[in-house]
Amino acid sequence: MVKLFRFRKTTPRQERLHELSLFVNLTPAELEIVDGLLHERHYLEGEVIFDEGEEGQAIYIIASGEVLISLPDHGNGRHATQQGGASPAPSHPLRRQGDTGRVAQLGPGTFFGELALLDNSPRSAQARAASPCELIIFFRDDFVSLLETHARISSKISRQLARHLGTRMRAMALSMSAHQHLV
Amino acid sequence: MSAAANGMATPHPAHHGSGPVVWAAIIAVTCLLLLVFQKVLWLVVPVLLALILYYFLYPAVRSLIYRGMSRDGAASLVTLAFLVLVGIVGIALMPRLTSKLTHWQDTVDRYVQGGTQLLDASLRGLERHSPPLARAKLADTVAARLAQSTGSIADHLEPVALGIMAWTPSLLLAPFLAFFFLRDGRRFKRFLGSAVPNAFFEKTLFLLHEIDRTARAYFQGLINLTILDTVTLAAGLWLLGIPGPLALGLICAVLAWVPYVGSILGGLLVVLVAATDFPSDPSMAYWAIGLFGLVRLLDDFVYMPMTIGKSLELHPLITVLMIFAGGAVAGVPGLMLVLPVLGVVMVIGETIGLIITDPRLMARHRHAKALRRVQASADL
Repeated sequence: MVKLFRFRKTTPRQERLHELSLFVNLTPAELEIVDGLLHERHYLEGEVIFDEGEEGQAIYIIASGEVLISLPDHGNGRHATQQGGASPAPSHPLRRQGDTGRVAQLGPGTFFGELALLDNSPRSAQARAASPCELIIFFRDDFVSLLETHARISSKISRQLARHLGTRMRAMALSMSAHQHLV
Repeated sequence: MSAAANGMATPHPAHHGSGPVVWAAIIAVTCLLLLVFQKVLWLVVPVLLALILYYFLYPAVRSLIYRGMSRDGAASLVTLAFLVLVGIVGIALMPRLTSKLTHWQDTVDRYVQGGTQLLDASLRGLERHSPPLARAKLADTVAARLAQSTGSIADHLEPVALGIMAWTPSLLLAPFLAFFFLRDGRRFKRFLGSAVPNAFFEKTLFLLHEIDRTARAYFQGLINLTILDTVTLAAGLWLLGIPGPLALGLICAVLAWVPYVGSILGGLLVVLVAATDFPSDPSMAYWAIGLFGLVRLLDDFVYMPMTIGKSLELHPLITVLMIFAGGAVAGVPGLMLVLPVLGVVMVIGETIGLIITDPRLMARHRHAKALRRVQASADL
């Protein structure tokens, strides 16, 4: 009976998961539970992962390869208008001149589409494989059921997510203020 | 960057419900499936029972996993504990059941006799108050007809008993299937997901989640409904002083899984027991009928919307029409299966409708296929 409650050694995949910032605080036992919820997909260079305006269902974690996040160019340096005819947002602070819609290129260990864990709002940019890549996918419904069943695990993930979003917001605020100084 | 890849105060895309073509297809597929299921009932019934068992045992497995046990260990332990519990209950009840079964024909005859006497007493009471009924000799006519039909009860019961014996091995599949559902359910979902092209992956996984959510809500709703029905009916029967209230309540609640027919059978059972155990007091049977009617009303208007109705999110009109359609297409099994099958087909139909009518998703799939073709023939 005692053996039943003893966990096996962590697998290489779980060790790799543990290196990701989202799961860095999870214990091996907790990682095994989360590992059971994750999916793996392989994308070829140039393959679209998701489109802008699509309803977000999952967060994507890059295990290998690179992913390009880009915004469709709607002209006049304006940010993409969303589906449903919403008013256009100001130009994206992270967009570099001459990038024609390119927002960022992400590498292994990083993740994107994280707001899909919180709500089902549409994606505001397109994600496309910049090189052949392997992605780990975590669905919102699995996260929600984790919130109900394993509150400790989901609170650890939520905390990391909040930290990540905080860093992102600070970076955006800094970038915007620098942009205003230049103007 | 990654924040930009998600919603930024953007409005939700307008969600349109399925059109009439999709709904016609959903109803047609549901009826077709019911026809097919009727032919393979030996497999459908154990799978259905296994699903009920799976959703019943799942919270215990989840709790053990949370306490640090592996999924395989938790599934094995919970299934084993359930089987041991069933074994203990079976052994405890065996002497009583054996003694009852040896006289089962006499017992059935006694209860049918009790029911017949109640009906006769009621009709004669009506005749005393209504001269037209007395002139029509309603009680004598009904008594004569019942005497004809009750003579053949043994003939009817034998095939039923043989049918139960024939079904037993197939029903033993249920715990076996439930164990594998508990142990490998997630692996199966991942296996299904891996077969889906990248372009449709998010939508398809969402569909699988929805099916799981619908099925879970339905079967957990059914379990909750059964508990509520059992407790209410058992409390009422106990207050009336009818023997074996808990067993009677549970049997009636399980019979109620079959819409309409099950409820009628349950009601009949309660009335027969009341009439037989209190032969000199017909008012007890009337009280039992009143209680059963009250529980059915509670069930239809309070318990059902609280449990199963909430889970399927079906329009009441569609629910009622589909129950009739299920009964017409596949008889009693159709009545029992129509709602869960409709719930699952509805989710699949709506999602497939969304995928194949989305030109962007289809274009992305074609693009990914072209990329794979190029990669496969790169060095040729």
